Amino acid sequence: MKKKEALWFYMLVFPWVFGFIVLTLGPMLYSFFLSLTNWDLFTPPQFIGWDNYARLFTEDKIFWKTVFNTLYYAFISVPLGMLFSLFITYFLNRPIKGSAIYRTLYYIPATVPGVASALLFKWLLAPDAGMINRFLAIFGMDGPAWLLEPDWVKPALILMSLWTVGANITLLMAGMKSIPTEFYEAAELDGASPIAQYYQITLPLLTPVIFFNLINGLIGALQVFTQIYIMTGTGGANMGGPNNASMMIVPYLFNNGFRFYKMGYASAIAWILFVLVMVLTLLVFRSSSAWVYYESEVRKS
Amino acid sequence: MNKMGRIEKFFTYLILTGLGVLLAAPFMYMISMSLASDATSAKLTFTFIPGEFHFENFVRVFTSNLNFGRFLINSLILVFFSMAGQVLVSSLVAYAFARLRAPGKEIIFIILLSTMMIPTEVTLIPQFVLFTKLDWINTLLPLIVPNFFGGAYNIFLLRQFITRIPVELDEAAQIDGLNFFGIYVYIILPLIRPALVAVAIFTFVWNWGAFFGPLIYVNDVSKMPLALGVQILSATNSAGQVPPWNLVMVGALVLTVPMILVYFFGQRFMDQLSLSGGSAGIK
Repeated sequence: MKKKEALWFYMLVFPWVFGFIVLTLGPMLYSFFLSLTNWDLFTPPQFIGWDNYARLFTEDKIFWKTVFNTLYYAFISVPLGMLFSLFITYFLNRPIKGSAIYRTLYYIPATVPGVASALLFKWLLAPDAGMINRFLAIFGMDGPAWLLEPDWVKPALILMSLWTVGANITLLMAGMKSIPTEFYEAAELDGASPIAQYYQITLPLLTPVIFFNLINGLIGALQVFTQIYIMTGTGGANMGGPNNASMMIVPYLFNNGFRFYKMGYASAIAWILFVLVMVLTLLVFRSSSAWVYYESEVRKS
Repeated sequence: MNKMGRIEKFFTYLILTGLGVLLAAPFMYMISMSLASDATSAKLTFTFIPGEFHFENFVRVFTSNLNFGRFLINSLILVFFSMAGQVLVSSLVAYAFARLRAPGKEIIFIILLSTMMIPTEVTLIPQFVLFTKLDWINTLLPLIVPNFFGGAYNIFLLRQFITRIPVELDEAAQIDGLNFFGIYVYIILPLIRPALVAVAIFTFVWNWGAFFGPLIYVNDVSKMPLALGVQILSATNSAGQVPPWNLVMVGALVLTVPMILVYFFGQRFMDQLSLSGGSAGIK
């Protein structure tokens, strides 16, 4: 009977295991091998040892710029989006009428697919005719050329990322709902103001949700691609401009692999990205014991 | 919760409405642009409140030679088969992890969980080589077939749900002569229906707007899903040329509306899910 059960287990998990070997494990090993070669997809790969990595770290100035740009984008857009969504949820969680309407209003932008929002914002951020600069002009401000200026293209992309905070808000609201009302009733008896209640009760109990959002947001931001492809070039050609000010890791990988057919070089970039994602995720995890509060947890001293 | 003073009330509504309008504005603009005439579109003189109502734009994209009907059918094929694959296979694998005992199960499960952290770029180039060798370029197969091996996140989610079902149900069914596959079909599947809907929704959302995969695997315009097709429409050949923004925004809207519908339709199931599924339901 036990043997039969085990047999059933292996049979039922087989599709996943097969997929794992053929689409994940095998490709990972192969891409690591490729990262040690020079390969144009058509002639056999040439083994060159760590040369690709050496070139990326010491010679390729554009690569360093893409790493800087990617970290700049991730480290500003993710925390800023978090603050913005916490700010909104504070008010959404007050006893107001029509909170369902507000929540819908805030969530709809998060449902817009990346391609659609990138096309929309490419237009909204246009120098003269775009909505954002026309809005600024009402207040007498002369808006920058956003996507066309090296100093403004990253702020423009960060601004756009704030548009989709609705997903964060939904999770934070769900987290808030699960906080027992007795906490607030007790705080009210003690005379705590709404703001004090927010800082002393709501925020600490939301830290697990904030943590989850932070990890997800960070991993997503490090792999940003669609916006760069659509907004900073014409149909994907010369993306990452102006002057590589918005070139990020994945677009750079795409260019090397699928435009210049430098498959070995692109694989090396992919592995550096992999390590970067792992290290940063691990750091956030490590930091979590200092600021994430789990109600039922017995802390390790 | 506590009552608000008048001033506080005023500022709460002011901030919520102000930010709401700000966040809704781009979406309003999208609608307004989609209804603009070709002349307005060429001159870039769009207005925030729609000044013209050229609803025929929504018909034109399908009847002209823009391939929109084709894009839409491709997207529907992609999404339908991806959902079918994920729902069927992920639930089957999840059932095995939740219920069946076998040596090595824990290790396989840990490997499954750890694959969730691997960025897709690491496997991208070898997968591209593999699908090229299989002659799957310019088909939707590289985008559909991987779903038939199950997804780690979905398997994990469904496993959490199945473990909440009392094992006594399985045992009773076993006594009645059902084998493990029968238990999965007749006992487990009906009880995890809300979670299956959730998996279907995640898969829809993930594949409907997918851009990177189609960009790499599909070059032939007639094979493209909508997300890629709309982007192609916006790309102009020369730098000075203005894309047909009104039609591009029609495309963006056609791409967006199903997502909004799925959100409203899905919310009911999501509520059910977070009530019955605990923290695993949060996503």
